[in-house]
Amino acid sequence: MNAFVARHRLIVLAYLGMLVLLLVTSYFSPGFLSEANLRSSVVLAAFVGIVALGQTFVIIGGGIDLSVPWVLNCAAILMAILCGGQDLPLLWVGPLVLAAGALVGLINGIGVAIFGVPAIIMTLAANVILQGLIVIYTGGLPTPRAPEMIRFLSVGRLGPIPVIGILWFVLAIAASFLLSKTAFGRYLYAVGSSATVAEFSGVPTARTTILTYVLSGFTAALAGMLLTGYSGQAYLGMGDPYLFTSVAAVAIGGASILGGSGHYVGTIAGALVLTILAGLLPALGLSTGALMVVYGVVILVTVAIGSEAFASLLRLVLPMRAGRIGSRQP
Amino acid sequence: MDLLSAHGLSKRFGGIVALDDASFSARAGEVHALLGENGAGKSTFIQILGGVLRPDAGTITLGGSDYRPVDPDAARARGIVTVFQELSSIPDLTVEGNIWFRREPRTVLRTVAKREIRRRTEALLDRYGFPALHPAQDLRRLSLAERQLVEIAKALAQEPRILVLDEATSSLAARETDWLLQLTRRLAEEGRLVVFISHRMGEVRAVADRLTIFRGGRTVAAHDAAAVSDEQIVTEMIGRRLERLYPERVSSATDRIAVGARDFSSGPRLPGVTFTLHEGEVLGVGGLQGHGQRELFQGLFGVARTQGEMTLWGTPAAIASPRDALVGREGIALVPEDRRGQGLMLSKTVRENLTLSVIRRMSSHGVLSRPREAALVKEMVDFLRIKVSTPEQQADTLSGGNQQKVIFGKMLLTEARVLLLYDPTRGVDVGTKSEIFQMMRDLAARGYAILFYSSDLQELVNVADRVMVLREGRVAATLAGDQVSEDAILRAAMFDEAA
Amino acid sequence: MSAQTKPSGAPARFYQAWARSLDRTPFLVALVMLLAIVLARSQLQSGVFTLQELNLVTASALTLMLAATGQTIVLIRGGIDLSIGGVISLGTVIAATRFGEDPGQVALWAAIILATGFGIGALNGILITVLKLQPFLVTLAGWSILTGIALTILPTDGGAVPGWWAGFGYSLFFGLSGPVWVLIALVLFWYWFRATRLGIVIQAAGSSERSAVLSGASVLRINIATYGLSGLFAAAAALYLTTQTGTGSPLIGRDYILPSVAAAVVGGVSLFGGRGHLVGTIIGAFILTIIGDLVFALRVSSYWQPVMSGVILLIAVLASSLAEKSARRQNR
Repeated sequence: MNAFVARHRLIVLAYLGMLVLLLVTSYFSPGFLSEANLRSSVVLAAFVGIVALGQTFVIIGGGIDLSVPWVLNCAAILMAILCGGQDLPLLWVGPLVLAAGALVGLINGIGVAIFGVPAIIMTLAANVILQGLIVIYTGGLPTPRAPEMIRFLSVGRLGPIPVIGILWFVLAIAASFLLSKTAFGRYLYAVGSSATVAEFSGVPTARTTILTYVLSGFTAALAGMLLTGYSGQAYLGMGDPYLFTSVAAVAIGGASILGGSGHYVGTIAGALVLTILAGLLPALGLSTGALMVVYGVVILVTVAIGSEAFASLLRLVLPMRAGRIGSRQP
Repeated sequence: MDLLSAHGLSKRFGGIVALDDASFSARAGEVHALLGENGAGKSTFIQILGGVLRPDAGTITLGGSDYRPVDPDAARARGIVTVFQELSSIPDLTVEGNIWFRREPRTVLRTVAKREIRRRTEALLDRYGFPALHPAQDLRRLSLAERQLVEIAKALAQEPRILVLDEATSSLAARETDWLLQLTRRLAEEGRLVVFISHRMGEVRAVADRLTIFRGGRTVAAHDAAAVSDEQIVTEMIGRRLERLYPERVSSATDRIAVGARDFSSGPRLPGVTFTLHEGEVLGVGGLQGHGQRELFQGLFGVARTQGEMTLWGTPAAIASPRDALVGREGIALVPEDRRGQGLMLSKTVRENLTLSVIRRMSSHGVLSRPREAALVKEMVDFLRIKVSTPEQQADTLSGGNQQKVIFGKMLLTEARVLLLYDPTRGVDVGTKSEIFQMMRDLAARGYAILFYSSDLQELVNVADRVMVLREGRVAATLAGDQVSEDAILRAAMFDEAA
Repeated sequence: MSAQTKPSGAPARFYQAWARSLDRTPFLVALVMLLAIVLARSQLQSGVFTLQELNLVTASALTLMLAATGQTIVLIRGGIDLSIGGVISLGTVIAATRFGEDPGQVALWAAIILATGFGIGALNGILITVLKLQPFLVTLAGWSILTGIALTILPTDGGAVPGWWAGFGYSLFFGLSGPVWVLIALVLFWYWFRATRLGIVIQAAGSSERSAVLSGASVLRINIATYGLSGLFAAAAALYLTTQTGTGSPLIGRDYILPSVAAAVVGGVSLFGGRGHLVGTIIGAFILTIIGDLVFALRVSSYWQPVMSGVILLIAVLASSLAEKSARRQNR
């Protein structure tokens, strides 16, 4: 147990932070812990969490995916237009859109892993290109309403539990399994901590990297479809907030932006923290501006707590067992 | 009259004692060797001297007055300049940019005076007779040895009263090493003090007037170099008698060819080599630095692109990546040149490092088996006697020798029976060195085929069954049996036999 | 002559020359692209590239150039600064709400904005160094906080700047517009800055921080200077932006964060630190700006502009990374 806490200190901290936040929120806004409110928080957090799933894999692998906003947006619009408000086409449109998202990821991954384009640039370029293409495709016209089936997935319930919550849970289990229990997960952490060492150790580095971007394209596309169900319609710009929130959720969840560490379990806490904050501030009568300030401060504080400097400070205050968390021998 | 003397120096890092009441004294005009195993406290001591670290306790006097540098600049101001083992060269600056970094002469506009820098650089290189270096070359394009030379030039440019050389010869080839040894003698004759750290006894013997030995953070002895035997030094360094550094050489080579290469080439540095490596054999690779050794190893392992024929255990092999090389018993494994950059994930645990190359072996259908992993890890930690408190210890908390053992373990786990060892003892302490050599012989006896490069000629002479000497990326000579000697290797490396 | 004795001699020499010229002028690829685009543009439109066009293009590119100047310094240091988006937003908002009409007051507030920009940057540098944090996250948080503050001051676009202030982009001095003079000043600044000890130390720290430290450089001072300069140039970009838009916009800075990185990268600045040249960044900013004109000249939907800039970005990066690779292969 102790070893677990030591190794996953940052993730534990993220969950502690979330609990504190929940307590604070329920103090200031007593209605917050109501069933309906919690449910809507989970639904909103699920969108962030699903986009951030792919982002977590990419960041652990030492990259970053800036293309999520418009992959998400394109998926939403494509699905709405191709389905035309009907349920039946969703049977082929759904897989098609997910495959398209994965394809964008594949292209990103190939650019990064095979051609050596820096991840920031590759995915940024993909983002603006998709933005242009989808606007040209729609001509700026509004899209049909989302099919009912998608609406059920994003706002429906099974008993007291939102359907999307279940979906998110299943995805979280799958992601955690991939990271912790598979060869792919091990390869991923190796590539993220040192691509050269991984290469010299016979790790299929290119394949591993590409797969993370494919996953990210897939989850962004999935989130886009679900979000369309939630808002009832697809519209231009709907993906924009998700770049910041997906990266922020990963960072708050304790992953290093340089790669090699982190876990989806942490990202879930990150997504919940961001969503609870977004619900808390209006309750306090604060504006969007204040929310952005708080978001920034929360990111700063979490990364500061996770930093090595903070850890060595802690070590001075609390006598911890040396060696384990890495007091270094010169 | 001592120029530099230190008393009662102590330094702790967390729970680890790096220096424990250590003392040191040296005179102007001498070359003073500082000896000790890795972890003996040498690095900590010279980092204190150089102003990088501050001692917890103890005093240093320099030229009769108190010396407490707060940073490297303060140390330099008092005339102490250190060439750290870990090079401080900046890849994107030129040779001259590196030599004068942060001390550039300036113009009235506060910009650096380029022509003045060039003039001073040429004067400096000329004065000390540096082997070929061009002031305007980018460091990024230089070899490790050339960077080492730049580092030395940078130190000399500061006109040090005390020059500290921390394993400055470890990446130099024989000719450059000779030059450096002469240089240290000359600096001492000019009345300066040179503190010289090296793991190579031959070098210490060649230059040192006196020597001080550290062990476990303490000073165990100080001698006049002429008055002490090698054996005594080694005994004092390791605290016990080392039976022998090199194992007895019992050749176990068979007729079976493990690796056969014909016109094997890779880039301009390796235009083509032809050789055979036999089962049970340790084949040394010698030659001056930069004559294709690295390209040969990287080419065989699939890191660099190659041309020509290669066979593995009698069948043609096409190895285009380390993945092609690491294919179990029929494969090839490498202990790479750069331990920290190519060998180890420093922020990961010993366990994760050990099993990285054999993840397929411990998983079925892509799913890991933790018990199987734990068994593999235990096997290697025990076999190699890696000193860890737990396999969950982070790799960067290990000493250099133990880190190298982890890399060996990672390589052995792949079960490949052709091993490429590129300078495996570089920066490794004497005790671990001896273990490594013994292990190489044991593996050879079990039928492994080992290709062994070392920057230390003595090791080639004492460990290898045969030595293949490369010159300009071709095999200049292959020496066997009584032919193998430092002299013969050097001669083959430098001169055309026909001439 | 020696080409015959060694078959590989001539190409090898070519590669070496190529590698060397890439080292000296990392923006070679970008320059060729800019020339091609300008040529294509003058083919499509009538006539050549006139002085007036230079004035116009520079006027529309200068905000990006100023923002990218700071970004270039940070990238050479081996970091990244996402907070410039917040600095720009905040700068325009302060300017639009505080300037008034009095020139003295305008000057005072302009100075305050510049100082604020430097201060914010310096704070970034301190946080990054003292807490050993990753620049990406610190400046991402900074962007969020500053944008939040800008939104609190001015929830939507609004405010105003004096008319004479807004005329800067069209003012002419000796036939060149104000923005062109600013551009010239930027280039002169760069050639001076990169030859100073500070410029060299920043580049060195980006090339190898550990080595710079071992050589006695102070990372804290380097980071304060680097990010401070980045904040300062972002504030200057904000001031210039108000002369173009005439208002304060609490979200406008977002449009310059990634394009500033893109301009630098198109111009051959390495994202891994240690290498880059402001002239490259300026060329990159020109390319990204002129693409819009090109799309216009092609008479296709203006929606094609982002697609084109994305493609150009990729081509530029691929070209320079391939060029780099071919140069490296010969000279390892």
